[in-house]
Amino acid sequence: MLEISSLIVSYGKRKVIDDLSFSVSEGQWFMIAGPNGAGKSTVLNAVSQAVPYLGSIRFKGREIKTMKAGERARHIGVLLQNNQIGYAFSVEDVVRLGRYAYRSWAFSKEKSDDESAIADALDATGMTYLRNKSVFTLSGGELQRCFLAQVFAQQPELLLLDEPTNHLDLVFQKQIFGLISEWLKVPGRAVISVVHDLSLARAYGTHALLIKDGRRAAIGTAEEVFTASNLENVYSMDVNGWMQSLLKQWE
Amino acid sequence: MESKRRDRFQTWIYLIIVTVTIAVFLLCLCLGSVNIPARDIFRVIWDAVNGLPSENSLARSVIVPVRLPRVLCVALTGAALALAGAAMQGLLRNTLADGSTLGVSSGASLGAVIAIAFGVSFPSLPFAGTMVMAIIFAMVSLLLILGLAYRLDNSLSTNTIILIGVIFSMFASSIMTIVITFASDHIKSITFWTMGSLQGSSFLNALILASALLICSVILISHSSELNAFAVSEENAGRIGVNIRRVKLTVLITVSVLIGVCVSIGGSIAFVGLVTPHMVRMITGPNHKKLLPVSMFSGAVFLMLADLIARTLLNPRELPIGVVTSIVGAFVFIFIYYRSRGGTRSNA
Amino acid sequence: MKHTKRFACILLVMMLVLTMFGCSSKANEETAEKAEETVTEKAEEADTGEAEEEKKDETEESDTAPDTSVTVTDMMGREVTLAAPAKRIVAVSAADCEIVYALGAGDLLVGRGEWCDYPQEVFNVPSVESGGNTNVEQILALDPDLIVMSSMAQDQEQVKQFEEAGVAVCVSNAANIEETYTSIEMFGKLLGKTEEADTLIKSMKDQFDAIMQNKIEGEKTIYFEVSPLEWGLWAAGGNTFMNEIAEMMGLKNIFADQEGWIEVSEEQVIERNPDYIVTITMYMGEGPKPEEEIMSRKGWENITAVKNAAIFNLPNNELSRPAPRLADGAKLLYDFIVGLDEVKEAA
Repeated sequence: MLEISSLIVSYGKRKVIDDLSFSVSEGQWFMIAGPNGAGKSTVLNAVSQAVPYLGSIRFKGREIKTMKAGERARHIGVLLQNNQIGYAFSVEDVVRLGRYAYRSWAFSKEKSDDESAIADALDATGMTYLRNKSVFTLSGGELQRCFLAQVFAQQPELLLLDEPTNHLDLVFQKQIFGLISEWLKVPGRAVISVVHDLSLARAYGTHALLIKDGRRAAIGTAEEVFTASNLENVYSMDVNGWMQSLLKQWE
Repeated sequence: MESKRRDRFQTWIYLIIVTVTIAVFLLCLCLGSVNIPARDIFRVIWDAVNGLPSENSLARSVIVPVRLPRVLCVALTGAALALAGAAMQGLLRNTLADGSTLGVSSGASLGAVIAIAFGVSFPSLPFAGTMVMAIIFAMVSLLLILGLAYRLDNSLSTNTIILIGVIFSMFASSIMTIVITFASDHIKSITFWTMGSLQGSSFLNALILASALLICSVILISHSSELNAFAVSEENAGRIGVNIRRVKLTVLITVSVLIGVCVSIGGSIAFVGLVTPHMVRMITGPNHKKLLPVSMFSGAVFLMLADLIARTLLNPRELPIGVVTSIVGAFVFIFIYYRSRGGTRSNA
Repeated sequence: MKHTKRFACILLVMMLVLTMFGCSSKANEETAEKAEETVTEKAEEADTGEAEEEKKDETEESDTAPDTSVTVTDMMGREVTLAAPAKRIVAVSAADCEIVYALGAGDLLVGRGEWCDYPQEVFNVPSVESGGNTNVEQILALDPDLIVMSSMAQDQEQVKQFEEAGVAVCVSNAANIEETYTSIEMFGKLLGKTEEADTLIKSMKDQFDAIMQNKIEGEKTIYFEVSPLEWGLWAAGGNTFMNEIAEMMGLKNIFADQEGWIEVSEEQVIERNPDYIVTITMYMGEGPKPEEEIMSRKGWENITAVKNAAIFNLPNNELSRPAPRLADGAKLLYDFIVGLDEVKEAA
């Protein structure tokens, strides 16, 4: 579904991503992990065309660079970790924006498939009962679900998540990841997500990429990638042992 | 069900605001420095439309060529400034954004002042010099601000634009001071001009304003969804497929045309563009589909009432309209600011 | 924060302009534009008064030399004494410069305010900043022995600085024609041109007398327009030179019920229907002339002055400064109106 080859991203003279290649297929939940500053988010930003890059990123064989913003939005949805809103929009207003890429012209009436997409997205995220509430009244988890609903309303095939639950309580983390894995069950969809929390990556990821200093350190299925030796190599510490010791305290 | 109720609510708002606008328009037509009975007012307008002579020649001279075009110009200017303000506030996701924060007003003023100081005029249209110069300078300052902003920050982020807008405003006012120093014999005209006067508005002015407003409002209202996306956040707009640069440029250029035309006809009138969208947002919410049209009507009402005060309070003297809008606007603004601080977050 | 700043700016401009016209209503001079400070006169009088007394004592002691000293009471009531008539004078207000030249003392002028524009020769004199920007050093560098300021353009600190530097400061502040005579007389004494001053005052009085003896009949009304319609209509109300001259001619200023220079409503001009219109707008060389522009205004067709083309352009501040040209301006206007009436009678 997504093929990245020889990706190079530079901030000034510094290469943040240096010759990175990988591909993601349908049905995969592709985790990108690595220490801070390794360039995890930069990869997603390149895919969503938020940073200039060299190399090629193809979606279903088409170079993403050549797609118009609207077309891109119909295929690829993005959920970021921080979502601040300027004005007191209602939840429904925000979700409705997800349909922007589908309208034919400025004054066209909303079509019935727009309405059903919005209703489905609200349902899938459990936000229906909050649809007329101002976003200013939502909790952090509700706000993130509201944006998830927006992304769902976009009806993308590929979902990009950039640490979407970073600032959320465990309950909300579980909720969001649960919602996304439900979404992924429909055939023809894929998720690429950047996560900090290796246990989440291990638990939900089907495939994974470990990067260090902008280069590929390991790639494959989640089981293949998240091995004690790989992690030790990338994080320069005994990650496995550390996690084990953390968990032991719960026993 | 849900959306039907919303539609009905929307219809009510439009009905009310249009009625209020028409009522205020008629009120402003009836009240003025010279007292003329309402019956005569409509009689002379009727006569004028049908090309008949009027019995009451004073009413005819006062209402048709003086008061009517003025009230029209005031209403259109108010609508244009409020529309421009609402669009800017949405685009930049900043409640303090306005044509003036962007530096477009200052640029337009500078153009007009240069036109006055150096006597820029066109042989056939003696007073068109200021208007053409104001529009040109509004555009030029916009290009300059955008050019600088692109240089600093490719995505044209809000902070960059407002920072450059503020710097540009200061720059423009310094240049204005220099121009005034060099053209000391025009200082009176310039001082009068900077205070803004809609006296002497003509039907031609009204026509120019109306055409600018018509074109720009269609453009801006057709960008309601994009403005909503920007108002949520610029990042979000990019994610849902808005062509950020194109939309920004379109909105900014449209706004600068509106402001250039208004500044050249009525001088710089503060607070309409800033305060009106705030008040409207409290009623309609932030959705630009409703916010933009309702702001237009409310801006017209606000400015017509301000002008009514300016025309009648010290009769036979006139107050500059900018003074009235600033005083009224400041109080309204403070009121709204504190109310929204204390209120909207919890009950909106 | 931006909006509060803008608001402050607008208030400031508004106050500036209001003071500008507020002041003009009293003094009606070009210098009004420079006025910003309200001077606390009493304290200053006390200060300078002492200084003057000392000076007086000195001059009285030196009996042997012929007494060339001049003492005048300036228009703020301060006594100013010069050891000899001034030889190097800085005049800040446009009206004062005109008086200096009218007294034939233009060669004594070593500095002038930036707004001075009459007569033409005044442009050869170095210009100094005035009003709020008054630059003491700049003026002292011209080495004057006398500075004449208008009442609003002075600042007590500055007066002190000048006097400490040995430069006499005199205040002119004429708000009507009578006071203009006083001002001319004062200049005559200060410059040693008393005879010229008397002649000048007499010729002014003669000109005004000639007008007053043949007042224009028929309760006619007049409207003085200070700025063109496009900038908002500013008119001369009561308590202005224009109003005084209108009364002298037997005309009624349509805005005599207002004070000073004021922005008026266009509707009011139409309703009050003046018989004559005077505009002081300067013609910029392009577009319609100020008279033509007024004639072409929509809604003004039925005003008597417009119907009769009784519109007169006096663009050179003749009627707005307390200077000798007031009489010339009055004469020009009078002749214009009488000329119009004669044409009408002939027809």
